[in-house]
Amino acid sequence: MRESIVRMEKAAKTFATPEGQTITALGGIDLDVRRNEFLTLLGPSGCGKTTLLQAISGFVELDSGRILIDGEDMTDRPPYRRPVNTVFQNYALFPHMSVGENTGYALEVAGIGRQDRARRVAEALRMVGLEGLEGRKPRQLSGGQQQRVALARAIIARPKLLLLDEPLSALDKNLRQAMQIELKTLQHELGISFIFVTHDQQEALTMSDRVAVLSGGRIQQLDTPRAIYDKPRNSFVATFVGASNLFEGEAAAGRLVTTDGIAISHGEQGSTGAATALIRPEQFFLADPGQAGPILDVDLEQIVFVGSTFELFGRTATGRRVIAEIPAMRRGLVGEIEQSRRARLSYDPSAVHLIPAEAA
Amino acid sequence: MKIFASLARGSLVAYTALFFAFIYIPLVLIAVYSFNANPINMMTWSGFTTDWYAQVLGYKTAITGDAFYVESTDQLVQAVFNSLKIAASTTLIATVFGTSIAIALYHFDFFGRRFYRVVLFMPMLMPDIVLGIALLIFFVNSGINLGLKTIIIGQCTFLTSYVFIVVSARLSGMDRTLEHASADLGANEWTTFRKVVFPQLLPGILGGALLAFIISMDDLVITYFIAGVDVTTLPMFIFAMLRRGIKPEINAIAVMMLSFSFVIASLGLYLRSRQK
Amino acid sequence: MLTITARRRAQLAILLGPASLFLAVFFLGPLAIMIVTSFLAPGLYGGVEWTWYPHNYGRILGFADPMFEEFDPVYIAIFLRSLKIAALTVVATLLVCYPAAFCISRLSDRWKSFCLFLITLPFFASLIVRLFVWVLLLRQTGLVNNVLLQTGIIDRPVDLIYTEGAIILGMVYVFIPFMFMPVYASVEKLDWTLVRASLDLGAGPIRTFLRIILPLTAPGIAGGAVIVFIPALGNFVVPAILGGAKVMMLGNLIEQQFLAARNWPFGSALAMMVMSVMLVLLFSYVVVSSRRGLDAAPGR
Repeated sequence: MRESIVRMEKAAKTFATPEGQTITALGGIDLDVRRNEFLTLLGPSGCGKTTLLQAISGFVELDSGRILIDGEDMTDRPPYRRPVNTVFQNYALFPHMSVGENTGYALEVAGIGRQDRARRVAEALRMVGLEGLEGRKPRQLSGGQQQRVALARAIIARPKLLLLDEPLSALDKNLRQAMQIELKTLQHELGISFIFVTHDQQEALTMSDRVAVLSGGRIQQLDTPRAIYDKPRNSFVATFVGASNLFEGEAAAGRLVTTDGIAISHGEQGSTGAATALIRPEQFFLADPGQAGPILDVDLEQIVFVGSTFELFGRTATGRRVIAEIPAMRRGLVGEIEQSRRARLSYDPSAVHLIPAEAA
Repeated sequence: MKIFASLARGSLVAYTALFFAFIYIPLVLIAVYSFNANPINMMTWSGFTTDWYAQVLGYKTAITGDAFYVESTDQLVQAVFNSLKIAASTTLIATVFGTSIAIALYHFDFFGRRFYRVVLFMPMLMPDIVLGIALLIFFVNSGINLGLKTIIIGQCTFLTSYVFIVVSARLSGMDRTLEHASADLGANEWTTFRKVVFPQLLPGILGGALLAFIISMDDLVITYFIAGVDVTTLPMFIFAMLRRGIKPEINAIAVMMLSFSFVIASLGLYLRSRQK
Repeated sequence: MLTITARRRAQLAILLGPASLFLAVFFLGPLAIMIVTSFLAPGLYGGVEWTWYPHNYGRILGFADPMFEEFDPVYIAIFLRSLKIAALTVVATLLVCYPAAFCISRLSDRWKSFCLFLITLPFFASLIVRLFVWVLLLRQTGLVNNVLLQTGIIDRPVDLIYTEGAIILGMVYVFIPFMFMPVYASVEKLDWTLVRASLDLGAGPIRTFLRIILPLTAPGIAGGAVIVFIPALGNFVVPAILGGAKVMMLGNLIEQQFLAARNWPFGSALAMMVMSVMLVLLFSYVVVSSRRGLDAAPGR
């Protein structure tokens, strides 16, 4: 196991709302961030991901628990004495300073001389592809350029850790995808850990080494993107990351039977007892006539063409909703079922994941 | 229907033209008639003269005893001088007080913060005369001699509110995450204030100071009650002249004051619009 | 080393200490003393006697001190007149500003900011000079009388100045920015698609105005009304210049009590009357606007 750069131990934080309720933003979180890792905190709004980030940068004081960065206890240190820098959601560029002044701010504050500073500003701006723009004011730049200045400003002092608070949420889709790749490259070049906050699951899966899915102030699952997608630990993770068909029931060897009598075959021989079977929409196929193996019959309610795939929305005989994704190259078959309004969906039992009923 | 709409629109435009005429035509008229040579019926034109200005500025003594109404240019100059002295001191004090309160209420959450805010809005809403007499009773009871000092203290009580409101507005428009960004990049609280908060706040502070200066120069009611017998400010001087009778010299003074404040105000508003 | 909380407390004390002390002594202190004074007996040669004496209010409201004076309704008459003049000032200022606010809100940004500049500009000019202008226009030998005489509409000068009308005119003139700004703010925010929707749903222009435009701009009207009414009620300069000795308002009466009659307790009681009207108005404004705010909040 690689050494950890950030260690959180039982970090807890609650907030009082104006209406007099308390909200648990962090419910005793333990977290290790590894060196040189791209870790994403993923969750719906209000799940505690931003609070977690601010606890690391020092803007939120913990009620209890502690935070170590590179082995040093940071719990009572003010933000300006932590070896951590942040790229803010709205970039937070100082409007009265030029791009160069913004970028060099951390060095200026640290008392680094003008010449040294100018050299390192130029270098940082080159790294983000903005060479020569030192003299501009932030408002003269496009959204994407402002984003890059915020990035250059945060990396110039070589922090041990870079925190990114939904930095791409304000960009349009194309720019966003380009920036995702650039961020990943930059992280490799710098050789430091990134902690990236987002509510966009696609973004999380694309960029991360590991993803922590948060909900209700707790880490629901911390794993590689593939494990998160293929083997979610609970139904929250299964539904939040990707589309899913969930079947709750009683599992026996190779079979799970729901209360409304649907049997799902699965490949996880050992599991028994109450469980939920997960089948991702893309794991369904349109069965050839007379095909053997596990089949789910559905009445189709809608067929939606989304370009690369068709999305089929159907119901089983007992009224359970099912979503399936069929590759668009199988147009011919889709034409047939459009006529009949019925589909026979087959699936590979080994692709079915069983989520054991939660202990709590 | 279309005719009806354009008729409505036309009458609205005409109304707005009248609205501006109502505001500005009187001011234009007095500027024109301040060059009228007729010393008795000031609004009956009898020829062009710059005598009234010359007399106010002390270049020429009055032609007739009757027209001699600015008791002496010295008194006028003294009143202007007093007003400037008062305005300069009150602007300085009120700007420091108002700005520090605004920053404190913005940055800190403490018991009684809402009450504080209410207290600061009070002097702006209260009729001037109430504050004027309250201060008069207070100064007389506490044995402080009325004069420049009491005027400065009295004006600061309400000018602080004006500065507070202007600076607060600027502060509330500021992005709090900028301070976070500065702290995140290694600046301590003082450095953050110096390099991030203050530069952005400066236009607000200057705006508040300008407003305080103008209001101080123009304040009549409160000053009137707490000035005592020895000190006269410019508005008090004109008010006293008006109460004794209308003479052409007042006209000239009025036009000079109007031009002065319009130039200053235009400059201030122009600078503010450029800032954006 | 200081802890973070102790340091923040020290910063707060430095920022707030001097200003708070100043305002407590020189603002709240005088107000408190004025309240006390309004319940004390007037001394024979000015000054006060330290005895409980509610009759200062009695002189205004009808329970005068039976020992010295009879109840004279002149004070309540002045009070009511001041309320009337202030109310008429509010109505007149609104009538002047409301249509203009509509017209200006539809202009292009350039013209809009130029018009707003023209409206705020007089606010920076001396109040007393702006009132003096109206003296020149309205008095017997003033421009208005001159024009009326020359055109033969009248054959001898009419009394324009030193009337209630003159006072209201002067107040409207100086309070225009106070009314215009809040009204304009709510007119500017008005969503014109709502007006179009109303017309589209079959409401005529008058009904649309009453049911859509007026309710939506009501907050601005209410705000403007409050900030014009309060200073108008206790105003002293405008009636002193344009009302002369003929039309007396509360402000002049208070001045008289302080600088001529030297009856400070009675003057303080009059000022307290002004203050209580102001507090009642402000309180109801806050209550009404916060209730409206709750109604408008989604999900309630």
